[in-house]
Amino acid sequence: MAQENSSPPLTGYRVLDLAGPLGFHCTKLLADMGADVVKIEPPGGDEARRSPPFKDDLPHPEKSLYFLHFNTNKRGITLDITAPEGRAIFLELARKADVVLETFRPGRMDELGIGYEALRTQNPALVYAAITPFGQTGPWRNYKANDMAGLALGNLLYLAGEPGEPPLQPPGEIAYGMASTYGAFATAVALYHRLDSGKGQYIDVSMHECSAHIAGYFIPHYGHSGVKPARASRKGEETDLYDPYPTKNGFVRIFIIPVEQWRRLVDWMGRPPSIAGPEFEKMAYRRKNPEPVHKVISEFCLRQTKEELYEEGQKRRIAVTPINTAGEFINSPQTQARQIFTQMEHSVIGKYAHFGPVPRLSETPGRVRRSAPLIGEHNEEIYRGELGMTIDDLVALRVSGVI
Amino acid sequence: MAKFALEGIRVVELTTGAAGPTVARVLCEFGAEVIRCETRLRGDGHRGEDPKKWNMNPDFMKLQRGKKSFTVNMQTEKGRNLVKELIKQSDVVVENYGLGILEKWGLDFPQLKEINPACILIRVKGMGCTGPHAPDLTYGPNVGNTMGTTYLWNYPGATTATAEPRTQHPDFMGGVTGAFAVVLALMQRKKTGRGQWIDSAQAEIGASLLGPKYLEYSVNGRDPQPQGNRSLTAAPYGPYQCKGDDRWCVIAIYDQDEWQRFERLLEKSGLERDEKFATHLGRIRHKDELDRWVTSWTLKQDRYEVMKTLQGIGICAAVVQDVEDQFKHDPQYAATGFLVKMTEPEAGDMVTENVPVRLSETPGNVRGLAPLMGEHTHEIAKALLGLSDEEIKKLEEEKVLY
Repeated sequence: MAQENSSPPLTGYRVLDLAGPLGFHCTKLLADMGADVVKIEPPGGDEARRSPPFKDDLPHPEKSLYFLHFNTNKRGITLDITAPEGRAIFLELARKADVVLETFRPGRMDELGIGYEALRTQNPALVYAAITPFGQTGPWRNYKANDMAGLALGNLLYLAGEPGEPPLQPPGEIAYGMASTYGAFATAVALYHRLDSGKGQYIDVSMHECSAHIAGYFIPHYGHSGVKPARASRKGEETDLYDPYPTKNGFVRIFIIPVEQWRRLVDWMGRPPSIAGPEFEKMAYRRKNPEPVHKVISEFCLRQTKEELYEEGQKRRIAVTPINTAGEFINSPQTQARQIFTQMEHSVIGKYAHFGPVPRLSETPGRVRRSAPLIGEHNEEIYRGELGMTIDDLVALRVSGVI
Repeated sequence: MAKFALEGIRVVELTTGAAGPTVARVLCEFGAEVIRCETRLRGDGHRGEDPKKWNMNPDFMKLQRGKKSFTVNMQTEKGRNLVKELIKQSDVVVENYGLGILEKWGLDFPQLKEINPACILIRVKGMGCTGPHAPDLTYGPNVGNTMGTTYLWNYPGATTATAEPRTQHPDFMGGVTGAFAVVLALMQRKKTGRGQWIDSAQAEIGASLLGPKYLEYSVNGRDPQPQGNRSLTAAPYGPYQCKGDDRWCVIAIYDQDEWQRFERLLEKSGLERDEKFATHLGRIRHKDELDRWVTSWTLKQDRYEVMKTLQGIGICAAVVQDVEDQFKHDPQYAATGFLVKMTEPEAGDMVTENVPVRLSETPGNVRGLAPLMGEHTHEIAKALLGLSDEEIKKLEEEKVLY
């Protein structure tokens, strides 16, 4: 495996991060893989500093755990890019940057005089990525959309929830996550291309389209045969055992696809006569006769804990998984063995266990190097250290509210 | 024509399911040549069991479009050697079989490195390649169980175990994240000339979006519970029922300006202003009443009209679309060419999702049709393995190229 002193693959790349929540996971992926991501917050701090959850539930700009997760590994400066001095400073920073990432509405950066064309003129090698709700073109390009709106249009919300109840949003801002992941992938592709060509380029990511990619196989199926699932139809065609089963201490899901797995499950349960017949080996038959199947499995699961069922089921090569809480995931033997969490310390929040980075590269793995920045924590380092400003300059910019 | 960024990169794909194929498909979209190794002994999960239908499944079209199909029997030593020969001439290997299979074939990283030290290997597994649960049998829809997604995807205080639909974001997001890691490894290789291997766990990629939930546990010592459609940052917030049968439109109002525009609109349509809702605090405190107030308006409106009207005054609104809506009522997908029509030789007309990201200099595209089973076996056997027609015929009879 990797040497202790190996550098993550994006070491040496400078990213200017103007992203809102739509792009948080993108610049986090880049930062975890070694890029020097400089988060540019408006004076007073990013809006996400107001997002729950908070340490001890106390709202405070340095205590947002939402902000902490997505900004660990980044540096932070404050800058008002709408003020003339702020724009000049941004142009100066962008001259030497490798990547600019932003999530403003289409055209906003151009209005400010710091759009792609302006930046490219002074830095042709710049990779500029814009992640927006709908992309830069099309009739909806100026529409607003949050994560839930992305999932709604992408056909994911429609399927979620119970019949008769409202559609239900997932945890974890999946549409933002998918758009961000595509943004990071495209940025890496552009940087790879640049190694030979020396040229940067413009990247346009649409959350609306990314979101449609998560919803499964409905678009190809509808396009082929016109079939569409009903609202809140959670169960798939791939298995009849989709609903979780209660156990002594929570739920498990048993996800049976090949017939071998069904046979192993029946053996494990002691071949109960009511479902041991060969006719039950056909999923179509089980779908038509679900009661005996669900009765046997329910009784079997209720006698054990979800951990016991998980361990023994997987040992028997049956796709059993426990429905874990976040805490159970953190404490699970697998998470512990893989050391997915890194112990970190934040000067206001204190000690915390930070998730990631993933995935793992054997020779040049990503690394958690620093906690999330305090508001303007790296102003001096960057404005004085890199741009050569004086203390008086900093004071003047501060007084006029630019930093 | 623009050059592809990954032109000249050859990928050997040893996969089943969706997460592995998605890694290779995303690389393919940006110019990589992907050789998908598969066998007639058993159709891939997405080709199906019935050989007559191997070239018909829309799932398969989505996952495998633009790739080449090379049929080879990995149970035979000759077959494995042919794949090793391909790997010698390739840059990337993508695999997602159960742990142990690659080892058995002599293709895990220590052995692969001997064959081609510049090759990059990505191993996609539900739970990763190490740890006591590395050998787990998992599928996209049950990976989310282990990390908390399934538990948290529910109504507050729900009695059922989950309201999660059959989503596969660990498959698709895992695929794109994996492709990201492969490109990073390719960048690194330009410096060192050496390959490396990537341990990609779908559960962990899905989990990477739940970071704030894990912090809630590790910092505040409290296991987070399902929040349903609750929000403290926006109100109104969530899907609101519209005119028609089970029709919904998401609305989210984040600031006072948006609220005032919204309130004026509803007043104009005859609703009475309620002072309780005048501030964000009031709207959060009286969320249920607020929702009823908003719904009394939305229920009389067509869902697309709600979206259009609210977007027209700068408010986030989005129809809860089903797949038919995506085809028939979404002018944005139509305008950007997102739904790409393809005609497959056996399956006929298909539609697949376009690449959702546009690069100005090195754009990607869907590249082409999904391959028929074994469509490119001869081409690859001749061009890359240097086999003659006779040798190919013999290997087919021996069920090696099979």
